[in-house]
Amino acid sequence: MVLTRFDLAKYPFVLDAAEEVRRLDLDIGNLENPALKAILDRAENRIEEALRNSPPEVSYRPREEDVEIPSFPVAVILAAASGNDYIKRRYALAEAIRAYKLLQDEDEKKVLEIAKVFNWNIQNVKKIIGHRRYDFALSFTDFLRNAKLFHEMEWKLVNRMLVKGKVYLRQREAARLLQEEIRRRIEERLRSDVRSMLPEPVLRRIDDLKRKYASRIAKAQFQDFPRQVVNEAFPPCIRMLYDAAKSGQHVSHLGRFTLTSFLINIGMKPEKVVDLFRSSSDFNVRIARYQVEHIAGQRGSRTRYKPPRCETLKTHGLCPGPDDLCKTIRRPLSYYGKKTRTLKKEVSAN
Amino acid sequence: MDTKSFIQKRFSEFYREKASDIEAPRLIEQREFGFLLFKGNVMVRHKSFGTVEALRSFVKQIVPAHAYYSTAYYEAPEEKMENKGWLGADLYFDIDADHIPTECGKIHDRWKCKTCGFTGKGVTPETCPMCGGKTFENKTWPCEVCLESAKSEMVKLVDILVEEFGFSPDEVEVSFSGHRGYHVHVENEVVKELDSVARKEIVDYITGVGLEAALHGVGTRSHVTSSGSSGRGFDNIGWRGRISRGAYKVLSAATEEDLKNLGLKEKAVEKILSNKELILKTWERSGPWQPIGGLSKDALQAIINRAVQNESAKIDTVVTTDIHRLIRLPNSLHGKTGWLKVVFPTSEIERFDPLKNAVAFKKGEAKVYVDEAPRFRLGEELFGPFKHEKVELPMAAAVFLLCKGAAELVE
Repeated sequence: MVLTRFDLAKYPFVLDAAEEVRRLDLDIGNLENPALKAILDRAENRIEEALRNSPPEVSYRPREEDVEIPSFPVAVILAAASGNDYIKRRYALAEAIRAYKLLQDEDEKKVLEIAKVFNWNIQNVKKIIGHRRYDFALSFTDFLRNAKLFHEMEWKLVNRMLVKGKVYLRQREAARLLQEEIRRRIEERLRSDVRSMLPEPVLRRIDDLKRKYASRIAKAQFQDFPRQVVNEAFPPCIRMLYDAAKSGQHVSHLGRFTLTSFLINIGMKPEKVVDLFRSSSDFNVRIARYQVEHIAGQRGSRTRYKPPRCETLKTHGLCPGPDDLCKTIRRPLSYYGKKTRTLKKEVSAN
Repeated sequence: MDTKSFIQKRFSEFYREKASDIEAPRLIEQREFGFLLFKGNVMVRHKSFGTVEALRSFVKQIVPAHAYYSTAYYEAPEEKMENKGWLGADLYFDIDADHIPTECGKIHDRWKCKTCGFTGKGVTPETCPMCGGKTFENKTWPCEVCLESAKSEMVKLVDILVEEFGFSPDEVEVSFSGHRGYHVHVENEVVKELDSVARKEIVDYITGVGLEAALHGVGTRSHVTSSGSSGRGFDNIGWRGRISRGAYKVLSAATEEDLKNLGLKEKAVEKILSNKELILKTWERSGPWQPIGGLSKDALQAIINRAVQNESAKIDTVVTTDIHRLIRLPNSLHGKTGWLKVVFPTSEIERFDPLKNAVAFKKGEAKVYVDEAPRFRLGEELFGPFKHEKVELPMAAAVFLLCKGAAELVE
């Protein structure tokens, strides 16, 4: 089955964006060309919809293929040129959610076509196993790549029907997993720096958009952690590990990882974290520095590690028992975020 | 000659003859190798070999107490960790008696508190009963009961890997660790690039962590449809099937004590025991997932929980999620026993006898003074128990006791 222009308007990300721009003779440097105004307007509008709608979602406009298809790669260029992480993330998510909604009611064969674009190992099945009807069977590795960060218990592999390497899914679930794949693909495309290639009037459009939604963007960034480390806002698990490390008590490997990644993520300097472990009986400054810097993403894979989820900490006996705030979160870092915000409010109320 | 030099000499003789049994791991040039030396307990890491011959002659030359290689593939395995360039890793599982509750109660194991020196037998406590210290020195013993328990966990693991994860029995490689457990190794392009988070999900599947029976349609009426809910549910697939088989087993074998241990109230226990035949019959007729007369929801949940515990495989969760792990090299000697790490096909699991198939030293005798050792078997022969005595033993038994630190060499 081939995807028609009608389909491409729904799922424009399956096309190679650069290729599409070239094919339409869309010159990035010449976006102010009046003939292309409709496309440019819709591109800007796609981003605006992402910023305005909550949850973020770009609208679907049927029977406007001539604008819908090319406006997507142009919007990607505009969002990339914004140079703002919040706009980029929000836009990628909005396009992905749009696709998710469309895929839920899509012809199953078309869903398979889209999945193929991402090299999924997936088949159409019509099966009732036990209590449920399933539409697709997806290889467990493709499943894990996309579902591993979902919180809900129903997305844990252990709670899925897994048979001979295949996870059974309903169409809505397959669409949800594709949403993740699509979001990542768009985010990747947004990484390139295209600002210098764009003409002044186009750049002005982007800056206007940024100005118009400045308060939203600022609010999103405000949700970051305070600059100073706030010890009083540590969750019980981190408090326990922190005290143990400070007093030189034995802390398990995973415990050290949890504590280190937590402190790095709330903005503690790696040297300070290394110092924390100095009273440990097996302290070795070279090894400790290496490990801390590795977790901070300054070495090795270059990814900054996040502390494990509460569920994982429970599995490994590192959760000393949740307090009331713990019951509202799933990760130690969210606890810290919430707590610092309430502490801040208390301070300003005093 | 001191004990250590004696062991090293035996290892050296062994490798001179048998280093050729060491085979190249897949893509040997992308693997990191590590060796723990007898001398000074030094770890030589970040080694790499282009050919298996180079690896063998290195082993012959340095005679390590332990030899390891990485589950990971690297662009430059000899570089420091941050410059190695991780390309992927095999999927690896470790089942060690340390992580399994066994029937022997580990009565043969000793622990000593590193803080106050207090000693005890059996499972190492979390904190020292004398001083509250948390670090211990351990002396463990690979007893047959422990090894059997580890093997049965491996059987469950292999079954899950084949039936649920879809690996063919040929690509699932099983081995005896040379000490107290078994390893299961999967080399497969599909799993190579999975990160730690994804591997943790695989671990949770195998250990049943986070499993919610209701999501498998178990124990709630709302999920039940007419199809698939009749019969005993034993042919159901995935965890749904494992829960039904396991719960039926738990229920049909349950004694009063078992049920009380599950945390059931006295009344519930009585009700279940007096209605057991009826409950099992209802189960067989209308399936396990209908609320069964005589079995309250809580009781069913408790039985399901026990079933999950029984049917899950007790693996060392840290090993599988570590994507830079060094693992023992097959056909190399284990420095704590003088036994071999032996790879064998899954079809041989039942017949495999670690205390026979992993024996390396088959010639000669040695005189040793045994401090203390429980009765043990090697091959067809039984030895001990020994306490403060001088004995002449076949080489395998002597080296084993020396490696375990249970004996000293007698000149």
